[in-house]
Amino acid sequence: MIRLLLALVLAATAATATGASAQPLLDWTEEEVRSIGRHGPWPPPPVRDPSNRVSGTPSGILLGEHLFNEPRLSGNGKMSCATCHQAGRDWSDGLARAQGVVELDRRTPSLWNVGYSHWFGWDGAGDSLWAQSIRPLLDAREMNGGTERVGTLLRNDRALACGYEKAFGRKPGNDDELLLVDTAKALAAFQATFVSPRTPFDDFRDALLAGDRGAAARYPMSAQRGLRLFIGNASCNACHFGPRFTNGEFGDIGIPFFVRPGEVDSGRLGGLTRLAESPFSLLGKFNDDATGENARRTRHVRRLHTNFGEFRVPGLRQVGRGGPYMHNGSVATLEDVVKHYSEVNPDRLHSDGVPLVRPLALSPDQSADLVAFLRSLDADVPPRPAAPPLCP
Amino acid sequence: MHRFLVLLPLLAALGATSARADELPIFDAHMHYSHDAWTVVPPAQVVEILKKAGVKRAMVSSSNNEGTKMLQDVAPGVIVPELRPYRSRGEISTWAKDPTVIPFVEDLLSKRKYMAIGEFHIYGADADLPNMRRIVELAKQYGLYLHSHSDADAVVRHFQQDPKAKVLWAHSGFERPEKVREMLRTYPTLWCDLAFLTSHASNGKVAPGWREAFLEFPDRFVLGTDTFTPERWHYVIEHARWSRQWLSDLPPDVARKIAYENGDRLFGGELSGGKR
Repeated sequence: MIRLLLALVLAATAATATGASAQPLLDWTEEEVRSIGRHGPWPPPPVRDPSNRVSGTPSGILLGEHLFNEPRLSGNGKMSCATCHQAGRDWSDGLARAQGVVELDRRTPSLWNVGYSHWFGWDGAGDSLWAQSIRPLLDAREMNGGTERVGTLLRNDRALACGYEKAFGRKPGNDDELLLVDTAKALAAFQATFVSPRTPFDDFRDALLAGDRGAAARYPMSAQRGLRLFIGNASCNACHFGPRFTNGEFGDIGIPFFVRPGEVDSGRLGGLTRLAESPFSLLGKFNDDATGENARRTRHVRRLHTNFGEFRVPGLRQVGRGGPYMHNGSVATLEDVVKHYSEVNPDRLHSDGVPLVRPLALSPDQSADLVAFLRSLDADVPPRPAAPPLCP
Repeated sequence: MHRFLVLLPLLAALGATSARADELPIFDAHMHYSHDAWTVVPPAQVVEILKKAGVKRAMVSSSNNEGTKMLQDVAPGVIVPELRPYRSRGEISTWAKDPTVIPFVEDLLSKRKYMAIGEFHIYGADADLPNMRRIVELAKQYGLYLHSHSDADAVVRHFQQDPKAKVLWAHSGFERPEKVREMLRTYPTLWCDLAFLTSHASNGKVAPGWREAFLEFPDRFVLGTDTFTPERWHYVIEHARWSRQWLSDLPPDVARKIAYENGDRLFGGELSGGKR
């Protein structure tokens, strides 16, 4: 009788121990586990950009934070980077289309994990984060700041001049173009610190790889089923792969790209044209990497007919906290995104080889599972403290 | 002053070269004007785009073929009609096994004049399916070209069914130039369009392998933009500019043939009143 009681107690204890665990674990194959493993570990090591001399430096990052929130960089003195890339909105703005001086044709992309990219902007016109940061400063439709305004501000504002000297080891000089580039490099150093927190998926992934079935089983079943679809039949991971859930490249997923009657957003094709014409690309004189190694991708990239209407494959971390979705904000919710892939019109996709995008024809349960998995890539973000002064 | 005088003829020569390149007319043998394009790129706008691009003639197909008629109505001397066996573009993957397709094609052939049937999509052994076989028969009966988006295997099957078939191989099958040359040597009535390909040219230069193909078979290649979505009509001008760039890397007579003369000789006869 005592042995029976003991057995009962042990069984109850075991149930409690796993019990959060009351939900089972899918029978993951070795291949699936390997595939899941490739979406981590998270977070990756901090990024250092060799083309940017202040990348990863505390003084560069601090200067960048002050400049990021500096409305005097804009033509009307009212708009900073943080106007559209809001910390409280996952470094975006929640709008379908970005609002600069005028409404733009594309959505404000989130800046989470942006430092790990190799092409920047929806069209990849930037080949470094600092080059990309120059565009909104100068674009007449966005901040409309102008090169001279940036230089004047850095020279004349005592705190910014001090922060600049700390970061770059010299006082702001008279070369406005160089000051513009340095401003962008400080902005890039700051943005590269936007690394999203660990998520329920990361805990699951690490537990699964460690063989800790109990911990892995805390991951909801619907998310597990959605993950199986993601890496399996739906093949989402063909483009959304790696720890950031993106290949960093470009794709046409059947989203119309007219911006108004008679005008299209040519996407990657136009981006490549702008990249080739930019004095700020990694092929130019402002690249701090003397080896030129980091310019290899820029040197060899080719324009393809497929680039017309292609847009950058976004990372999926924090995806459920964002939206609207797609390059032009034309899809309102995460559920609608999944619906798009479920029902995508193959007419819009060129039949060249095996199509990466095809209508998935998901059932309502499958769609819900995929959404549950995507939401498991979200994590709450603690509030950001105010930036310390540049030169106390 | 002396340096200025030296520069003048140089500038004049550059200008002349540029103008000549711009004037190189284009026959675009791979265009679509399907149902989803009609309102967002109206026929008058299409004609304007072709004009700006220097596309003198274009072989156009459309799902459901009414788009082709709409363009013919506004630009009869420009549009070469091609019969597409699709009523909507969604039939790309179903048409070969759809029993209603052949009556649709036969009905149109009995009512309107076409130069080709296509662009249709067919791969491997599916080229021996009854629908595809009937399309080959109809092409023979009406003296039409087959515009086939297919692999080499399907092209071989077209010729097995009709050794005298006239086949325009869409996208050159996305094949390597060596394979394309092999096919062109084997089948004298096979021609290739270069639509949606970029492997043959980069930065205004023709790629090795393709250069040999163009020089060996200067009469067998034609250009194409492939306006498979409405948005791509807005790529026609840039595509024409890009094409002229790499064509300028070929001997002028070869460039002229690929740009215009081949397409007009093969498909434009009706528009030229039978004169070629």
